[in-house]
Amino acid sequence: MNMKDGNNQTGEVARTLVEFLEVAITMIVFLKGFYPSAAFERRRYMNVVVQRARHPELRDYIHSAASSLLPFIQKGLVERVAVIFFSNDNVPVERFIFKLTINPSSAASVNENQLEFALRSFLVKLSVAEPLVKPLPQNCRWEVTAYLRSLPEVGSSKEGELWIPTDTKQWLKPPVITPVKSLNSDPLCLQLYLEHPSLSETQPCQAQ
Amino acid sequence: MKRSLGSNSSGGSGSSKKSKKKNPSNQKTLGAAWGSGAASLPSSRSSPFSDFGSYMEVKNRKLQNQFENEASTGVSDSEKLIFQGVSIFVDGFTIPSHQELRGYMLTYGGRFENYFSRRSVTHIICSNLPDSKVKNLRAFSRGLPVVKPAWIVDSISANRLLGWVPYQLDQLNHTQPKLSAFFAPRRHSNPQVASSVTSSQPETGYSEAEEGSSIKAGDSEESRAHVADEFDGVYTETSIPEITAQTRTDDLKSSEVNADILGSYDNEEKELSSELQSTTNLPSASNNKSSHGKPVSTAAGSSVRRHSTLEDPNFVENYFKNSRLHFIGTWRNRYRKRFHGSFNGLKWADSGQSTAENAKKSTIIHIDLDSFFVSVVIRNRLELQDKPVAVCHSDNPKGTAEISSANYPARAYGVKAGMFVRHAKELCPQLVIVPYNFEAYEEVADQFYDILHRHCRKVQAVSCDEAFLDVSDVRYVEPDILASTIRKEILDTTGCSASAGIGSTMLMARLATRVAKPAGQFHISAEKVEEFLDQLAVGTLPGVGSVLKEKLEKQNIQTCGQLRLISKDALQKDFGVKTGEMLWSYSRGLDLRSVTAVQESKSIGAEVNWGVRFRDQQDVQHFLQCLCKEVSLRLQGCEMIGRTFTLKIKKRKKDAGEPAKYMGCGDCGNFSRSITVPAATDDIEVLRRISKKLFGSFCLDVKEVRGVGLQVSKLEGADPSNKGSKTLTSWLNSAPASVQTEKDDNVFAAEVKEIPDGKRRDTGGVSRLRECDSAEPSVQSGDTNSSLPPMCHLDMEVLENLPPDLLSELDGTYGGKLYDLIEKKRGKRKINNDSPHVSLDDMKVSSSVSVQMHGSSTSGGKELEEPHVPNERAIEITDLMPSSLSQVDVSVLQELPEELRADVLEAFPVHRRDQSSSSDAPMETCTKQDKEPTYINDSENEIGFSSSSLWFGNPPLWVENFKVSGNCTLEKMSEIYCKLAQSRPPLLSTVLQRALSEVGSFPDASANDLEKTVDDVCEFIEEYIEIKVEGDIEEIYLCFRFLKRLAARNQLFHQVNENVSPFIQALINEHYGGSLSIP
Repeated sequence: MNMKDGNNQTGEVARTLVEFLEVAITMIVFLKGFYPSAAFERRRYMNVVVQRARHPELRDYIHSAASSLLPFIQKGLVERVAVIFFSNDNVPVERFIFKLTINPSSAASVNENQLEFALRSFLVKLSVAEPLVKPLPQNCRWEVTAYLRSLPEVGSSKEGELWIPTDTKQWLKPPVITPVKSLNSDPLCLQLYLEHPSLSETQPCQAQ
Repeated sequence: MKRSLGSNSSGGSGSSKKSKKKNPSNQKTLGAAWGSGAASLPSSRSSPFSDFGSYMEVKNRKLQNQFENEASTGVSDSEKLIFQGVSIFVDGFTIPSHQELRGYMLTYGGRFENYFSRRSVTHIICSNLPDSKVKNLRAFSRGLPVVKPAWIVDSISANRLLGWVPYQLDQLNHTQPKLSAFFAPRRHSNPQVASSVTSSQPETGYSEAEEGSSIKAGDSEESRAHVADEFDGVYTETSIPEITAQTRTDDLKSSEVNADILGSYDNEEKELSSELQSTTNLPSASNNKSSHGKPVSTAAGSSVRRHSTLEDPNFVENYFKNSRLHFIGTWRNRYRKRFHGSFNGLKWADSGQSTAENAKKSTIIHIDLDSFFVSVVIRNRLELQDKPVAVCHSDNPKGTAEISSANYPARAYGVKAGMFVRHAKELCPQLVIVPYNFEAYEEVADQFYDILHRHCRKVQAVSCDEAFLDVSDVRYVEPDILASTIRKEILDTTGCSASAGIGSTMLMARLATRVAKPAGQFHISAEKVEEFLDQLAVGTLPGVGSVLKEKLEKQNIQTCGQLRLISKDALQKDFGVKTGEMLWSYSRGLDLRSVTAVQESKSIGAEVNWGVRFRDQQDVQHFLQCLCKEVSLRLQGCEMIGRTFTLKIKKRKKDAGEPAKYMGCGDCGNFSRSITVPAATDDIEVLRRISKKLFGSFCLDVKEVRGVGLQVSKLEGADPSNKGSKTLTSWLNSAPASVQTEKDDNVFAAEVKEIPDGKRRDTGGVSRLRECDSAEPSVQSGDTNSSLPPMCHLDMEVLENLPPDLLSELDGTYGGKLYDLIEKKRGKRKINNDSPHVSLDDMKVSSSVSVQMHGSSTSGGKELEEPHVPNERAIEITDLMPSSLSQVDVSVLQELPEELRADVLEAFPVHRRDQSSSSDAPMETCTKQDKEPTYINDSENEIGFSSSSLWFGNPPLWVENFKVSGNCTLEKMSEIYCKLAQSRPPLLSTVLQRALSEVGSFPDASANDLEKTVDDVCEFIEEYIEIKVEGDIEEIYLCFRFLKRLAARNQLFHQVNENVSPFIQALINEHYGGSLSIP
């Protein structure tokens, strides 16, 4: 297995993952009831029933957010991808975290179908994860944030330009974690968990 | 046989005759044992023994029974049961023979094991060991004492159990005394002894370190050693550190009180001097030594201090108690607390630029107490004033203890700091060695700074005895006069002389002080700077060490005058940008630094590089534990918490021999590694885990380690009120533990600010309703457990903010313990509560330390990954299809909407669909059938190269261990595992779940082995968690919740849960920067 092959395979894994993220993010937004359910339509992805946004702009946002992560994922820079829901004073109320690690050395041995099988369970779990999530406050908004292991060099790639450094407000205390799903099969280690502010979090909006 | 009898001591021969009589019967039973074993073999196909393990179990039990029967019939009452609690295993050829030894054990109340087991054996008896076993002693003995048979013979002749230490096998004995004396099993720990040991602990103050360690009877350390020897297994370690920590703080408090009382008393007596003193000042306690009730330095010398990590379990603590560097290090914190607070209001707004601008005009005084460490001690001992005196922690004329400070008369003889006592005594035979007196140092340092702060606003403390004053803006008095006023005041108040240097920069002031010493002052005015520097040797410049000096001398540069001839560029080229710059400006008397207040410390840590000797991982773990405690205490002392942890190791260089300094570190290579965690902490448990991980990542031979230091940086205030602003930044980059260097803002985001208000609310209402309906997570259903959460899970902050009446009600339900808990937490923070189980962990875990090191080194980060990991990772992932079903909880499946479930199930083969849709205990069936290979492969990947892990192998090691443990609960666990493991190894959560369904049939653990069982269970769960934490929190979460539910129903699991929960949370916090939600 030469280097190039391995890289190609990593690329494959990354592409599948990005596609998966797009679907998963949509599922999360659907799950949260952020938009009326009429804004989504049922589709089948990886043989599982999933939702897809009808509105072209929403669909495009999610698609572009996910796909512009591709170069970073391929380089192994992305550590976590978070879907964050904010209250109207811009304090996060809930974060869905995808924590991911791709091990390029064993990427070569995996085949596409196997990976899809593994990822499918996430989608199934997500579709029934509603009891885990908190109700949304009014006037909320949401965003996709990626946490990188290190900053890519400025201007090194065109793809990076879509992304902006964020000054997202953070919680003051370590959050409470509710694991949703874990997948730990080489080459991909993917975990999905929820973060909620800890109980002792005291009105951070006022504090700031 | 005859020879062996002949070799016995006369006292023992009588009893050995008795055993000789019994020999025939012994032989018979042994034959019977073999016979039964052989007989069972042919029938084994249909036999009750399903495998070798259960066969051995039965066999062991039978042998034991035989032994007991014989013992009960054979023991005549007249014989004293001197071997009560001793259980021996005889290895190889011995004199007397192992049959005889067995007889002795029978007669004198001991036990004799035919097969080695760590659990039941307390001593290994042998007279000879093959080389391989000696080399790999730990694997062979599992930490048990290896003793010559003479121990038994002599014990019998003495008619009492002798300490085994002198009988240790010669082959092992050439090393230093064993730490195992302190670590030996506490099976037969005697509570009385333990308590007497701990109560004798409050031993404070200075302890004279005598290299010859002449033993004085009756002192606490020594008696403890005796006790430990005699019971050779009394385990005293866990309780002591805590108690000493407490007594130490108590002592501190009482000493403060004493000082206060004394202070007021003295105030009356010496009104003259008190006029000069500020209110915060403690008057010079000229007679405090005698009137203090406390055992300060004068009371020293009664206890023998142990000299290395090998011998003294409290080594770290004692080390820091007696360390001058430690005093200097912690002094700064004390200083800040004492002075910084009151001067905080005065921000030196001008200090930055203005001093740089009118640098020419600025005047700086450098003031330094003369031979501080000596003069403070002898200030009240007039008879010593003019004699050569040096301070050293040991007064042994032959010793290699280093002199830490010598007074000027002594320096006249050539005695210098850093010199061995031995050499100093050669130079100056009448040299008087005095011990440290840390309390006096503190007192004098405080007085010293009181005076400085009274005279000058801008004081920069360099050390406890050295400071810079910026007197540029003091116009009304000449600096020379000011300096002499200050010096006189210091002399009057403290009885110690000070020297002062005055210059236009900090550099010049400092150089001037050097000329001024002792007890003088010197002013280098701006005009004289060049003249002064011209002849100054480069080596005297601060920042020019021996290496740099040598380099300069090679270039033929001896003085600053010569240095000035070289251009800055050339200097920077030769010595690097910074050093070059420094040399260039220093040689011109330039120094851009300005006098600033004490800075917030950047890092806090502790380092030990004297007396560090390890024999095995266990020693290391213990040492790290102590070190972490020290660091944690220091952090708490500074009210700081930190995120980056750096472990520094000094490793003996290959060719370095035993250092000249006794127990010193010698010629060492320095290594350091650091790790950054997302959430700042001062928690001892986290520190311990991290340091362990870091230590493991060095992959070095513990015998080579000569020094260990732990440093905590990226500090934040621990005070929650000031936490807000700081932790905000830390959360911005709340990346999980990563070894790589961190960048501060690696967060990218794509943002959408769509707020489809109207639309959303329509449906929002509906969805919220639904959420309320199914408030309980589906997986949880069926468990109607309304018991109180254990106390350790209560959120202190919540508790403290409760209204008092509610709190008292809650307190009632917890049986009044709640108030205590709150008090405790308020007073001391978490640490003391945690420490008991922390140290327990440590003991337990250490048997498989090497494993965890490996496990953690892979999880620690890419850099640390073993080169051969990829190969192992390459294990093929087969059959993913079942995996995807098993990853779907069936409970989840049942909650699915009809259509969705149909879709999902369609994806699976027919037979599986049947299973998963059948409603009764569906999860068990499908997990049993469809255990995916991926998890298993993975866990083996991570720990595959460490064969002693409890989770290694298939079935994992613990299954076998538990099976033969003799404890019903443990046996049950291993049974459940085997039952579930029909096709593939199950996950722990599955095992726990099954245990939950069968928990009713679990026997109540008997009180006496409860503790050990809890330890065993904790150990295997914790190892599992460590394996899984990186990649599978879902599984951890499941285990966590099942454990909780088990805890509500079973006493054993309740304790396990109490112990494991904080561990899990700490681990999760370390990796994910949060805590698991408690359902």
